Amino acid sequence: MIKIDRIKRSYKTGDTVVKALRGVTLTIEQGEFLSIAGPSGSGKTTLLNLIGCIDRADSGEIFINGEAVSAKNKKELALFRRHKLGFIFQTFNLIPVLNAFENVSFPLSLLSFNEKEIRERSMAMLAEVGLEGRVDSRPAKLSGGQQQRVAIARALVKEPQIVLADEPTANLDSKTGKAILKLMEDMNARYNTTFIFSTHDPMVMDYAHRLVQLHDGKIIKDERRKK
Amino acid sequence: MKFLLGLALKNLSRYKKRTIITAAAIAVGLGIYIFIDAWLLGAEMESERNLIWYESSSARVLNESYWEEKDQLPLKYVIENPEEVTVRLQELKIPAAPRTVFGGELIVREDPFEQDGSMQVKIFSIDPEQDNTVFRFRETIVKGRYLKPGEEGILIGSWLAEDLGAEVGYPLTIVTRTRHGYYQIIDVEIVGIINCPNPSINRGAIFLPLDTADTYLEMQGAVTEINLKFPERSDAEMLAASIEEKLIEDFKGIEILSWKILARDYVAFAAMKQSGTRMILFLVFIIAAVGVSNTMLMAIYERFRELGMMRALGMKDSQVRLTFLFEAGGIGFIGSVFGVMLGCILCLWIVNRGVDYSAMIRDMDIGYRVTGIMRGAWHPKALVIAFFLGIILSVVTAFFPTRRALKMTITDCLRFQ
Repeated sequence: MIKIDRIKRSYKTGDTVVKALRGVTLTIEQGEFLSIAGPSGSGKTTLLNLIGCIDRADSGEIFINGEAVSAKNKKELALFRRHKLGFIFQTFNLIPVLNAFENVSFPLSLLSFNEKEIRERSMAMLAEVGLEGRVDSRPAKLSGGQQQRVAIARALVKEPQIVLADEPTANLDSKTGKAILKLMEDMNARYNTTFIFSTHDPMVMDYAHRLVQLHDGKIIKDERRKK
Repeated sequence: MKFLLGLALKNLSRYKKRTIITAAAIAVGLGIYIFIDAWLLGAEMESERNLIWYESSSARVLNESYWEEKDQLPLKYVIENPEEVTVRLQELKIPAAPRTVFGGELIVREDPFEQDGSMQVKIFSIDPEQDNTVFRFRETIVKGRYLKPGEEGILIGSWLAEDLGAEVGYPLTIVTRTRHGYYQIIDVEIVGIINCPNPSINRGAIFLPLDTADTYLEMQGAVTEINLKFPERSDAEMLAASIEEKLIEDFKGIEILSWKILARDYVAFAAMKQSGTRMILFLVFIIAAVGVSNTMLMAIYERFRELGMMRALGMKDSQVRLTFLFEAGGIGFIGSVFGVMLGCILCLWIVNRGVDYSAMIRDMDIGYRVTGIMRGAWHPKALVIAFFLGIILSVVTAFFPTRRALKMTITDCLRFQ
């Protein structure tokens, strides 16, 4: 469970201070398929970054499975992310010199898995995202949709509790985007992994089981949908 | 660790041209280092050998007051009983050759010379037999013959002979002072011209038989110095000190100086040249370091988002740093391998062929006691140093751009365009 308690975060851009989050409070249960929606500058990415422990709040607290994130130092946060969190980025962020298999196995290599386990898990995950035939392909040889599938496999291969996706379909055409969302939904159902993704695309919002809408750094709508 | 190493190696192939150019910069730097080091080492080794064989000997027995006034070539500070000292040295199995070195004015007259003239010279009076146990002049005669005891004949250096227009059989006059300060004129004839590998001898040396000098200078058997020959590559300073300790009880008022003291000007010159060369090498390495640093900086700047992703996925800063340092080390390794190969190729040439400096050395004293072809010498230690230096240099220069990248927050890295 993720508990976000009165989180505030502001940035300084030149002489102006931008208040990205103005006291956000939110609770997310394990296994939710949640979308954080809102226009540009509403604070979606900031909230995602804070939940993903790659940014720190000015005030307020985030608890993940009861653990206060702000109490952790840089090294502890790195280990926490390594074990508990998966990330999917808008621009895929695959390592160009590694092939699909190596990109997927990257998070496992940081954990204490042996080579056999790494191979089995990575191959299985690539098969799940439908890329068993492209394991040796480098990102440059894959389409955008295929690259995002690799990124999803990379996020899920270590079976994290939470996967955070920042506008995962923004760089994809609508057909591929839908396929990616379907895949994420399937994974959420199969592994009970919490998926939190940001978007400003209504089509993507439709897929969410819960929709949290932000505006000017505040939650203006928190809607649960039956799926 | 294995994974990080693998990732670093794969990253090396990411920008092949850049990796090759940077490694080439390191390779050229190291190649030049190895080449110059071998060249200087060869020149120094040959210089030292020529210095000991033709100029200073390994060590010299002197009157303890002589060294302070050596520039005046004094005949008052002498060794009165050189035979006894020589016998004692022979008992210690140290070849020894007595000499009397004195200064004088060399006068040449028109016919057979082109014109009248005179010049200040340093004359070495040598025992024609004993001198060859320490020095090697007998084999350097290029015209005429070697000295005979008791004759009023001299050997002169080939370049001096050329400058004077002298030939074997030409007469010369030496004006000097005896041990007691009286003027003395010695009429001599050139019996031989020597050309040895030590330019300072060819440029100005005059050799006279010791017994002839003894008579004219009223030395009464005394000499100004006894030159010693030590086994090659022995520690001359230590050996000189040990022999002095053994001799000092029986022969009061003497001291033994090693060639490093006798040829202090050369030792200082060699050290100065080494410092100068080190400066050049330092600049070469700076250029290579800038190349590596630039490559790593570009590599890191182009990969900020990737860096952000890796850190977001739980890679510790130390692991990210290690990956970049491995990558830089990889460039350094490639550069080192090719640098050592390049250095060896250049060394093959300088060691076997060398550079002919004879035309330059004839008219200019460059300090080294080498007259003709200056050859290099293999220096395995320099190869090892160069190899590891290339790798260390790359890793160290990559450290700073990596540190800078790691100072950025993960979110800034991910936002980087």
